[in-house]
Amino acid sequence: MLSNIQVVINILVTSALYLLVSISFASIYYPVKYFHIAHAAVITVASYFVFLFANQLLIPFSAAVVLAIALASIVGILFDILGYRPMRKKNLASLTYLIASLGLYVILQNAISLSFGDDTKVINTAEVTVGHEVFGAYITTVQILTICVSLILFIAVNLFLHYTATGKSIRAVSSNPELCNIYGISSNKIILIAFALGSALAAVAGILSAMDTNMTPTFGFNLLMYGIVAMIIGGVGSTRGLLAGSLLVATAQHLSAFYLDTKWMDAVTYIILILFLIWKPLGFSGKRLKKVEV
Amino acid sequence: MGSVELIYMEYFLHLFILICFYTMLSQSLNLSAGFAGLISLTHAGFYGIGAYTTAILSTYYGFSFWPSIPLAMLISGFIAFIVSLIALRTVDDYFIICTLGIQVILFSIMNNWMELTRGPLGIPGIPSIQLFGFSVESKTSFPLLSLLFVLLIWFVLRNISRSGFGKTLTAISEDEIYSQSIGKNVYLSKTVSFTLSAMLVAIPGTLYAHYISYIDPTSFTVNESIFVLSIVIIGGLGNLSGSFFASAFLVLLPEALRFVGMPDSIAANMRQIIYGLILVMVMMTGKNGVKELLQPIAKKS
Repeated sequence: MLSNIQVVINILVTSALYLLVSISFASIYYPVKYFHIAHAAVITVASYFVFLFANQLLIPFSAAVVLAIALASIVGILFDILGYRPMRKKNLASLTYLIASLGLYVILQNAISLSFGDDTKVINTAEVTVGHEVFGAYITTVQILTICVSLILFIAVNLFLHYTATGKSIRAVSSNPELCNIYGISSNKIILIAFALGSALAAVAGILSAMDTNMTPTFGFNLLMYGIVAMIIGGVGSTRGLLAGSLLVATAQHLSAFYLDTKWMDAVTYIILILFLIWKPLGFSGKRLKKVEV
Repeated sequence: MGSVELIYMEYFLHLFILICFYTMLSQSLNLSAGFAGLISLTHAGFYGIGAYTTAILSTYYGFSFWPSIPLAMLISGFIAFIVSLIALRTVDDYFIICTLGIQVILFSIMNNWMELTRGPLGIPGIPSIQLFGFSVESKTSFPLLSLLFVLLIWFVLRNISRSGFGKTLTAISEDEIYSQSIGKNVYLSKTVSFTLSAMLVAIPGTLYAHYISYIDPTSFTVNESIFVLSIVIIGGLGNLSGSFFASAFLVLLPEALRFVGMPDSIAANMRQIIYGLILVMVMMTGKNGVKELLQPIAKKS
């Protein structure tokens, strides 16, 4: 039986991970306004890059991680240049992008399956850690790292969005891309930066998750969905909402695992999403979902 | 016929039945996705409800195939009605995410409610279909039966699409506010089309259970939903014969890949990569299905 403190620690670790995923997704979603589902494959591909470099090519682990993050970021940029940018010229509905991104996800996920196989892979981090004991509960080094990295990146991204010229441009494009083009901010360039940033953050989340547990070619999809649920619950358009959303999702999952069974974690997550979509479509804060603005 | 030819024959008939199943699935989804513009990722779940209803009724309670079809349709339709009450509060992207969530919940129920569905163990020993005292299990009678159902569903959907209701749905998917302004009940039409589409999807579900005689939740995952949706989009939204051709193409594609000498392990992934590519191409050009995508090329030659 898990102690109460262990449950609290698990909730903190999981919400840190979901927070990172939801920031990475939101930093792309806010400027482009469509669901970039292929982001899930970016999460996955980053950890497979680490596996390739560190476990197969035996490059030092820290170098492998840096390389993987850079490559994942390039994958995100390529998605934008090859996939979405030609579509933006045509003024298509956001649904079209979502379906195209499903296609992109299917392509990249199967490419990963083809190159690495469908079996579960483990990223070896030298020593098998039992974990540190805190008040009778256990927490591993990777889990402490997850919490620290996630909080640092959350603060860093917020500072970046509010206090740098590029960050402000991203926020400007998020609120009105056409006006930005009039003022001489290239929305295409800003969106590209957003893709690079979001994909790099997704890579960090993917690698941390793969180091903590292990990975299959589809693990990114679930992780991304939890991040998206956290974003919708938190309220689209608010960065503090992401924090609240990921805490709520992680708490609900671990409490349902504690009181019911781990197998109902998925269902509980989506039931919360649906409850929010019915009674609080604004999330904790944020914009109303509207079909047509005349 | 020698035994080798017999095996080939059975294999071709198996492929034919698969094409029938996917045609029924994609045409039914086309009713909500194509005509009403409700892109749903829940349809593998409704397919599963159909399969599980008939599996449970026939193995636990000894029901025969025929009464379980309307029962499966009713159960699937009832759940779809509730789902539509929830999901239709959202629009566009959020509708897809919402239906995706419901798909995961349905899968979770099939996978975890051990008392009812036996979870990952699946339900074995589903009896074959009885028709006028004959057992429809031979490799020739089942294809005929599935073909019959394909034609039936095709006929029903074609008539719906040409009826006033079908025209209303098309109008709604093109301009919702305008349709409302000329007095069409948008919400009701959407609910009806979504429910009807889920009821029709339950039919291939029941057939599948009796054909394969063993079902488990892995046939009704999110990926299956995405696959069926891809068939609809590749065939063209609102294009029923397009759904049929796309099903045939995507079912036969791995066989074609195997024929050119690609090993089985790669062929499965390659099929998905190819359908992903087609999906992206169709979406990137903003065309409706492969037919429109190929039109300019056909004109040139």
